[in-house]
Amino acid sequence: MILEIEHLKVSRGGVPILHDVNLSLGEGEIYGLLGPNGAGKSTTIAAAIGLLDRAGGDVRVMGKDPRTEPKAIHAKLGVLPEQNGFYDWMTATDYLSFFAALYDLHPRERDLRVRLAALGLEASQRQPIGTFSRGMRQRLGLARALIADPKLLILDEPTNGLDPRGRREMHDILIDLSDNHGVGVLLCTHLLDDVERLCKRVGVIVEGRTVAEGSIADLARSYDRLARFRVHLSGTVPQVEVPPSINVISHNGDWCTVDLSPETDPQTAWRELLFMGWPITEIQHESGGIEDLYLSLTEAKAA
Amino acid sequence: MNAIVLIARKEGGDLLLSLRGLGWLLTMAVVLSVFGLLLVGNTELSLLDNAQVVYDMGGIVTALGALLAVVVGTDSVAGERERGTLVPLLLTPTSRTSILLGKLGGQAIAWAAMYVLALPYFWAVGSTGQNLIDGAISVALLGSPVVLGFGFLAMGIGARLSSARSSLLTSLIFLLLSASPLLLGPSLRQSSVGRAFDAVNPFSGALNAYDAVIIDSQTIVAQFPHFAFTLVWLGLTLSFAVYSLNRVFK
Repeated sequence: MILEIEHLKVSRGGVPILHDVNLSLGEGEIYGLLGPNGAGKSTTIAAAIGLLDRAGGDVRVMGKDPRTEPKAIHAKLGVLPEQNGFYDWMTATDYLSFFAALYDLHPRERDLRVRLAALGLEASQRQPIGTFSRGMRQRLGLARALIADPKLLILDEPTNGLDPRGRREMHDILIDLSDNHGVGVLLCTHLLDDVERLCKRVGVIVEGRTVAEGSIADLARSYDRLARFRVHLSGTVPQVEVPPSINVISHNGDWCTVDLSPETDPQTAWRELLFMGWPITEIQHESGGIEDLYLSLTEAKAA
Repeated sequence: MNAIVLIARKEGGDLLLSLRGLGWLLTMAVVLSVFGLLLVGNTELSLLDNAQVVYDMGGIVTALGALLAVVVGTDSVAGERERGTLVPLLLTPTSRTSILLGKLGGQAIAWAAMYVLALPYFWAVGSTGQNLIDGAISVALLGSPVVLGFGFLAMGIGARLSSARSSLLTSLIFLLLSASPLLLGPSLRQSSVGRAFDAVNPFSGALNAYDAVIIDSQTIVAQFPHFAFTLVWLGLTLSFAVYSLNRVFK
């Protein structure tokens, strides 16, 4: 595990903010940290990276305690905070070069250009950062977080301000980092689409406590929040057994109710059914999925 | 290049290359121009003897330097925290002490810029007499600890308070109280309260030394007690800044 948080407690000014937060993140894993506003997600991140003192519990980052070995942890840690500021008078290359030097790295300008190009900032490398759009700043922040080739990447709302193409590109970068470079990614976001696309496991924090942690599939099963669809058929269903990831709940006239297991991509499931000869003409999402799961977890605990 | 120098260079860039920093330097130049013009052009003020004019300019440069130091000091900690640039810096494998020392280097660059900016004004008001060199050296030696001390104080306050605005206001109140020897008349300064305040006030330490060197023609070496006093002030404010930055966000 490159990040382990057990029974984390944090107080500020004598007021308890976090009561009992738990999470664990392995190499090459993308973990989604979810929760309503003010639940304690950013405080959890701040305590995990050693910015905040903890009142109790244990935090291990790459096996080290951030209170006693912050330098060793920071050398292999990349963070994109939610409030991500820049020196507006610097150019993008100067900015990356400045941060690289603080990691005692001295990349050539060509290397910096390659890094910026990988994030779609090649054309803007000589522009002052003050002229950058919000999306460009977000990309530059990610370039900074990646400057020392971190083992653990902590991202607080990383797709904020990005257009759909930028979001997709950010997703692809994160998937590449986790799959091909073994980088562990802690993703703190409100965008459940991001979580659905990127994360295998999630932790949900409500009022400073972890209320659920595990794989999305297991949580959806245990909270009975499997994705449920209504499928309209123009004819009879062939008498062929459907794959185990597709559970036919009921059949009423032209409509059929189907549950999909959480690991199943709906598009793949429909394609499989069509190949099997199901005369599908319309599909409606009825309930379930990560949004339902999130709402049920956060509403139940907040109430 | 070591991290302290890197951060000091970045801080210098914040002052000398950003619009905000250049705006402050321009404001200082305008204020110095107004005072310089008054000292040489105003009918009554132009009758002051050369030593008094250089002394007055020394006080003004020190006060403006301290004001700039408070602004730069507040901005380098509280301002950076509000703009979100402090966290990425704290998350590099650079120790907080190195970050602080770099920022202190930035303070020194700001004061050096202000001092260089003030030299032509010193020359403009003092070139006709014998006191120009003494004045410039006194401000460099005795004014520097006072000015830098205010910068460190502002950094410490900026690390402890939650907003840049409240940090700046608090630091300015400290500065105004300390700069009161420039505002109080001579008779008020001679009162028991005025004398007690003078005894613990770093501004008074510097101004009394300027007075002794520029007006009373004493040697700079003889001002060691004043110098030691300003160094104590510098040491105290530095300790406060180090302690506060190590607690920032904690």
